[in-house]
Amino acid sequence: MIVESRKVVMVIGGGIAGIQAAIDLGDMGIKVHLIEKTPSIGGRMAQLDKTFPTNDCSICILAPKMAECFRHPNVTLHTYSEVKEVLGVKGDFSVKVLKKARYVKEAECVGCGDCSAKCPVRVPNEFDFGMRRRGVIYLPYLQAVPMVMTIDRDNCLYLTKGVCKICEKVCTREAIDFEQKDTEIDLNVGAIVVATGFDPFDPTGLSEYGYKRYKNVITALEYERLVCASGPSGGHLIRPSDRKPAEKIAFIQCVGSRDVKNNPYCSTVCCMHSTKEAVLAKEHDSNVQSYVFYMDMRAVGKGFQGYVTRSEEEYGIKYVRGRVAKITEDLERNPIIWCEESDSPTAVKTKVDLAVLATSLIPRRGMEELSKILEIELDAYGFIKTASLEPFDSSREGIFVCGCCREPVDIPESVAQASGAAARAAEIVAGGFS
Amino acid sequence: MSQQDGFDPKILGFLCNWCSYAGADLAGVSRFQYPTNLRVIRVMCSGRVDPTLVLEAFIRGIDGVMVLGCHPGECHYILGNYYAEGRMKTLQRFLEIIGVKPERLLLDWVSASEGERFANLVSDFTKKIVKIGTLSTDISKDEFQKRLLAAKEAFSQHRTRWLINRERELLVEGNVFGERVDQDDFNKIKFESVVKDYEKNRILFAIRDKALSVTEIAQTSTLTPQEVLRHLIIMEQNGLVTVSEIDGVKPMYKKMRG
Amino acid sequence: MEETRIGVFVCRCGTNIGGFLDVPALVDYVKGLPFVVFSQENMYTCSETGLTEIKSAIVEKRLNRVVVASCTPRTHEPLFRSVCKEAGLNPYLFEFVNIRDQCSWVHMQEPEAATEKAKDLIRMGVARAKLLEPQEEIEVGVIPSALVIGGGIAGMTCALSLGDRGFEVILVEREKELGGHLKNLHKLFPIQEDASKLIERKRMDIAKNRNIEVLTSAKVEGINGFFGNFDGTVKQKGKDIPFKAGVIIVATGAEEFKPIGMYGYDGVKVVTQLELERILSEDRLSVKNIVMIQCVGARNEERNYCSKVCCMTALKNAMRILEENPESQIFILYRDMQTYGTFNEDFYRKAREKGVIFVKYSLQKPPVVNKRLVRVFDEFLGEELHLPYDLIVLSTPMIAHPDSDELAKMLKVPIDEYGFFLEAHVKLKPLDFATDGVYLCGSAHWPSTVSESIAQAYGAASRASIPLSRRHVITEPIIAAVDEEKCIGCGLCEIICPFKSIRIEESPNGRIANTIVASCKGCGVCGAACPQKAITMNHFTDEQMLAEVVALTTER
Repeated sequence: MIVESRKVVMVIGGGIAGIQAAIDLGDMGIKVHLIEKTPSIGGRMAQLDKTFPTNDCSICILAPKMAECFRHPNVTLHTYSEVKEVLGVKGDFSVKVLKKARYVKEAECVGCGDCSAKCPVRVPNEFDFGMRRRGVIYLPYLQAVPMVMTIDRDNCLYLTKGVCKICEKVCTREAIDFEQKDTEIDLNVGAIVVATGFDPFDPTGLSEYGYKRYKNVITALEYERLVCASGPSGGHLIRPSDRKPAEKIAFIQCVGSRDVKNNPYCSTVCCMHSTKEAVLAKEHDSNVQSYVFYMDMRAVGKGFQGYVTRSEEEYGIKYVRGRVAKITEDLERNPIIWCEESDSPTAVKTKVDLAVLATSLIPRRGMEELSKILEIELDAYGFIKTASLEPFDSSREGIFVCGCCREPVDIPESVAQASGAAARAAEIVAGGFS
Repeated sequence: MSQQDGFDPKILGFLCNWCSYAGADLAGVSRFQYPTNLRVIRVMCSGRVDPTLVLEAFIRGIDGVMVLGCHPGECHYILGNYYAEGRMKTLQRFLEIIGVKPERLLLDWVSASEGERFANLVSDFTKKIVKIGTLSTDISKDEFQKRLLAAKEAFSQHRTRWLINRERELLVEGNVFGERVDQDDFNKIKFESVVKDYEKNRILFAIRDKALSVTEIAQTSTLTPQEVLRHLIIMEQNGLVTVSEIDGVKPMYKKMRG
Repeated sequence: MEETRIGVFVCRCGTNIGGFLDVPALVDYVKGLPFVVFSQENMYTCSETGLTEIKSAIVEKRLNRVVVASCTPRTHEPLFRSVCKEAGLNPYLFEFVNIRDQCSWVHMQEPEAATEKAKDLIRMGVARAKLLEPQEEIEVGVIPSALVIGGGIAGMTCALSLGDRGFEVILVEREKELGGHLKNLHKLFPIQEDASKLIERKRMDIAKNRNIEVLTSAKVEGINGFFGNFDGTVKQKGKDIPFKAGVIIVATGAEEFKPIGMYGYDGVKVVTQLELERILSEDRLSVKNIVMIQCVGARNEERNYCSKVCCMTALKNAMRILEENPESQIFILYRDMQTYGTFNEDFYRKAREKGVIFVKYSLQKPPVVNKRLVRVFDEFLGEELHLPYDLIVLSTPMIAHPDSDELAKMLKVPIDEYGFFLEAHVKLKPLDFATDGVYLCGSAHWPSTVSESIAQAYGAASRASIPLSRRHVITEPIIAAVDEEKCIGCGLCEIICPFKSIRIEESPNGRIANTIVASCKGCGVCGAACPQKAITMNHFTDEQMLAEVVALTTER
């Protein structure tokens, strides 16, 4: 029996997985609505400096995909938008999407940035985890797609207090429109692919690591922003406390992972990303000495073990097996790593310039709410539940899942899964046997 | 910044669409400033750049050429930048042989996210070219045409192009017998070939309009009469030159038409 | 011959260009350039107004070349090309000059020099535009069927996904029956289902699907052709069966490394994990003291990779044994426990709780097996343990089939140093090959679990279905074109092409290079190499590039 269904698919989430799924589906001739919550697609991959094990520049390999997705004749991008309601069945879903007002006309804005430069308010930039500031009218980052400004309504002087409007005066294209309203769109689709990605676990609650108390204890994603050429320090690896170069760096694994009190599971990618980050530090500055404090070195993917071996042999990275009991600080704000090494009876102290915490990958904030809207089950860890032998099927027929919202995975896995979820969605909408 | 000592160099850059051109765009988006001397020709891949085109640029008065591709391992076309590297490095060495400062040809890598690096590369290169002066400070005006044109011809010859472009495979993957060729051995063979073709073309250039004797030909270049004669004998056998007259006891060689 | 009529549009881009360069001077300058019959400035050339002005100028001024001097082709070239197309002008007769990102924005303190630079750049662009040729996008038909090589879980899943979408699939399996390694497995983790039941289900689904043709006891003998148009023969029981396919998927899996000569391996008292699975499924396990050794033949000098699946396999089997016989004493000797992910880590914890004992050993001090004991130095305790055993199970890595390179040569795809197939891009194209039209999934790519193989199989099906659904491939005409008169068939281009998209073929003129239009990427590596200069790179020809150099170095 051939099931008639709308040859349209919705992809929720505009990170690398969502982008890949949208492009695959679009290439198959299927119309795609890609819904992205933030003002730009790109997701976490845009925040990384380089990717393991090839050390490719992350944004360089991502940007062409973003451009392809944006220009794809079959893909409609809805950024700064959220899914609010999903009714119906596989083959025929009715979805309500809330398109938030940017207060900027997308057709007119060319992203020149004149407005942002003149905006009198500065707030911490989410993209750089607060390590840099942005205007209230802003582009999340330089390579954002679409290249259109957005006004942050919570901090805008005009929208909160009725004063200012400098951006409107400065814009030569008359692209600012404070009269814009949030709108709701109704979309009818045959299948849905969820690719909402992950959030990094906030280690503030793990007081033994001193995150937020000690300035030179940062998370892995913050490190990525620091070491990135277009990041807050121009790619110079400097300590947040005194902006001096960091020459001894400790990478602490399993922060919040494999931890029954927080996240009992393994986040899969951290052993590799910390190795990569240690390698990058050495490439930036050959004086850097890095230590990786780990429990098990999980280098299971293609080329990973060779990468770790090279990091030891060619880059002199020191791998120390043991659980880090705590981090303290000396008077010069140097972090001191207290590690219970596996082959020593007492804790070994190591003084470093900078400590990088490889934090857990956790489900995105808002996952619970979204799962209720989509009426799909989450597993015990808050990720979307799928079946082992049908790895992309959620608990609701017609809704498929890929990438880190399913389980922490690295980029190649996310991309492969995205194609896989696209195939499953295509089986529903592109006809054939039911 | 551009007008130093009255010398305002002409710089030509070949930028690849996926990496260096994108990096240059990012420099613009980020407003990193650099000197105005650079003119860009966009190519899809740094592997598109033929050494003869670079020589053409020098012949026509460009003072410095930049060929910028993707970092090794990141080429959008997988291997293009390796070929660019092989060709440009060969050309750099050869420029040195014929008396042109090899620093006039820059081969480097810029990724799409390296806006600042691009700006710095252009600034540094421009400063360097200002310092070493215009091309005619390397070779005199009259030698200029002879050497660069002959060089261009040399890099157009079949055998030289074959060797330059086979280099990567032979060194990395080996020949049909699975033997890897040693870099130094290969360089010897490669440069021998280029230099031979170059010398041949110097001679042809000298006798293209007028018949000259062996000694006269030798005077137009750094070749000895014996070297000139060796070339002439082979070229005569291949029909490239002919003895058009005999002046006393001296045969006068002329380039064959066609 | 039609006279060239070039129209030039200089953009102000608001103040981005207009605030730095002398735009009126540029428009004026342009008027004097050869073959320019029209020029104007725009406030925003990419706006609706600007685009309309381009279209009207093309029609009214009978322009046959359009040059826009504004931002960057990387974002806006497609837009202007489609506008030209709408106005009836071939989109490849359009040229873009970058006077913003690479001029006005980077020379903000030197407006005069920047304006001179812009003049040079526009002059170069105009010279190039004169030599542009109309290009047609090429359509190559795609045979609407897929060849799936390998009938294990990956191959079966891929075939079903494509078959369910209505595509024809030929599934080739060299053993007598479908199933691959599933045939050797006992139960699957974490669902505890019999592997044999999974095979049955897939086999039945395949049998029901009229689009899938299954050839077992069959091997692919030879493959010719290229993307969209592959053909070749499959040999089945001595018979030659020809096939045609638009795409090919490699799902040939891997095999278990047999640790001959290691740890006393004899297949009876010292076995591999797969051999243990056989014992378990035949219910032949009767012993109590079991020692499992991880990383046997892996993560060492010879084979420096982690085979990913062995730690979970060992845990799965250990727990299975404990379930059947709670009295069993199981030791797992490991270097790192690779229980990545959510459920795997949970299972590891459960195994510890259930009483499986984990002993960490190092590469430098491997366990030693003698007749009754396994001696192993425990890195955590710092002392040597003596473990009596009834059975030793060696966890060995998955290795590539020894004939993987034969298939690789047939398909013209690469393999890595370990014999696994090498994808186009490790990060962003894990299931594609650089050679178009060939895809990859499962353990042929890298050791994968059943679940991961299924996931990749769907992924490869998705990738392969793209050309199949379109029924043709549209290629950008920026490709290599060989001049048959000049080509002498030396074969250099064939050797160096990174995509194997130019080949020496027999022709009436002898052996001549021919571009495979469907997969040529237009990089130009061959064009710059050809010893006879017989290759033209469409849209980036030697003449066009030379014209830019000449225009640059010749004052107007």
